[in-house]
Amino acid sequence: MSNILQAVLGTSGKPTQADTVLRYSFAGLVITGVVALGFLLLQGHSAFNSSSMLPWGLPISTYLFLVLTATGLTFVSSFSVVFGFTEFYPVAKRCAWLSIAALIGGFTALGLEIGHPIRMLWTLPTGMQYVSPMFWMGIFYTLYLIFVVLKFQRIHAGDWHSPTSKLLGVAAFTTVVIAHSTLGLVFGMMTMRPLWYDGMISVNFLFMSALSGAALTVFFTYFAYGFKRENMPKDLRTLASEAALPKIFATLLGLGIMMVVDRTITGLWSNLDGFQVYHEMLRSPLWHFAFWIGMVLPFIAMMTPSLQLQPKWQVASAVLGSVAMFVIFYHYVVGGQRVPTFKGAWAPDLIAYTPSLAEWAITLTGLFLMFTIYAVGEKFLNLADAPTHKG
Amino acid sequence: MAKWGMVIDLEKCTGCQACSIACGMENNRLPGENWQDVLYYTEGEYPSAQLKWFPRPCMQCENPSCVHVCPVKATYKTEDGVVLIDWDRCIGCRYCIIACPYGVRFFTDERPLVQPDIKSVFKGVGERSWNPPWKMPDSHEDMQRGVGIQPQSVVSKCTFCYHRISKAPKGTPDLDPNNPALREFTPACVVTCAPTARYFGDLDNPESEVSKLIAKKRGTRLLDHMGNKPQVYYVTGTSSSIPGSRASRKKT
Repeated sequence: MSNILQAVLGTSGKPTQADTVLRYSFAGLVITGVVALGFLLLQGHSAFNSSSMLPWGLPISTYLFLVLTATGLTFVSSFSVVFGFTEFYPVAKRCAWLSIAALIGGFTALGLEIGHPIRMLWTLPTGMQYVSPMFWMGIFYTLYLIFVVLKFQRIHAGDWHSPTSKLLGVAAFTTVVIAHSTLGLVFGMMTMRPLWYDGMISVNFLFMSALSGAALTVFFTYFAYGFKRENMPKDLRTLASEAALPKIFATLLGLGIMMVVDRTITGLWSNLDGFQVYHEMLRSPLWHFAFWIGMVLPFIAMMTPSLQLQPKWQVASAVLGSVAMFVIFYHYVVGGQRVPTFKGAWAPDLIAYTPSLAEWAITLTGLFLMFTIYAVGEKFLNLADAPTHKG
Repeated sequence: MAKWGMVIDLEKCTGCQACSIACGMENNRLPGENWQDVLYYTEGEYPSAQLKWFPRPCMQCENPSCVHVCPVKATYKTEDGVVLIDWDRCIGCRYCIIACPYGVRFFTDERPLVQPDIKSVFKGVGERSWNPPWKMPDSHEDMQRGVGIQPQSVVSKCTFCYHRISKAPKGTPDLDPNNPALREFTPACVVTCAPTARYFGDLDNPESEVSKLIAKKRGTRLLDHMGNKPQVYYVTGTSSSIPGSRASRKKT
């Protein structure tokens, strides 16, 4: 074990940025993982501030953020390997690896959140509860993980264009679209939760995941080169220097803003019981930070010709956009449960919820795991690789 | 096969909560885990404010959303119409709690409602999440039907006292607690109800008291627009009503 750790964390010469990221993220993973497991072993899920009245809290919104981000990263990776937009080849491999990292981080957050994750391994296939959206979500995210790992293995071996490689790319793209749709339905089918109930929520999630994926693509691309464009290979530098990337990002931000505004106005206008959460949401400084600073400001920056090509604005917009998505998903997951179900007039009008330390530890475990897996890839898997010919 | 259902006469219910207590004793519930609850409503404002109450067990829906969403088929509907949970299959994802419009499900691992934490005072042995000083006989416990003291990290709910009703003589139209021969097969909340506001019987049998009451007194189901089709019916009169919504619209 110590040999493996030495091989992964050790360096032969001066530590590279990947070494540093790996060490810090691994240390963060160990600390937060120990704290999370400590809480779970000593107190069980009683350490959570979620309850039977508000069953899904921060870890579930973390899961949602990470798996939807994995979807978005797969979209970006698929631009080139599936749809043939060859200018995106320089980010394809990194995005494919990041989507694996985000997915595993999300699954870990979910696994630590639910009561009996191991039991799920045999009860899910033997139950075959095909009318449950969560059942299909489990099936398709598992299939997606298999396909994306196989696809990554192909491109890591230098096989970008063989029919099998292309087929795996299409399979990964298709399964992640279906998986993310089923995830949308997990929430969208709930008639008893008015804030969630929406047949189009999968489409909403689609754009949000694309936005989140694009933001993380920009962030990690710069991150890999010390936030300096001049360190990037020529093709990647070209991609980062042209207006296409910020324009795509701005378009996704614009669509995201439109969706948030549409949903919020609908919620504020309607007097349906359950929608009063929107009034409460607007009183939250966190929501305003996410919307104005995390979405509107980056949108303006990415639409402004003098700012959109500046690395610092691209990176800042990416970070702010990612944080905004995290907050928006948190408000969505928690907000949908804040109005109690049938509990009488003596139950609170809106259930209060603040994540506990244990819940934060699970969230950070998922995020640090994603960073650790990313850094392992950056160190050992040559994520900057791209095909020599763009067949 | 019977389709068990309950009728609650809101004209007779006094809101005394004996049903909640009986359920808690029969099924070893923790404080706050009220499988059978009596909800209170404040209607109107001073000087004409009124206190209303509403007894609420699990609705044992015909079309239960909790069963449909469970990804592992841990929660299921029996042939005799009761929604149960298999604690050996439950993964504790709590999706069923999300999907229940009536709020009748509980997760084992919650922050304790009262201190000291009763679960830490009476620590669980083996699979049991706690070990109450008084509990139902071990022979009644049934993990596959969610009866008894539940393990850690699973969801629990009212079973219509399945350990009782499942042993009732076949073909019985009503489980009437006033009939000594049937009393031990009748749900605890029905047995204990002092004003006899609760009736329990076979909804598929037109001769049962519950079927007659539903027909005669226009039995109504809670939140019928949700489509879950509860097997618990409420009957009302001039001085009682069924809340149209969760009714927590009190002014703040």
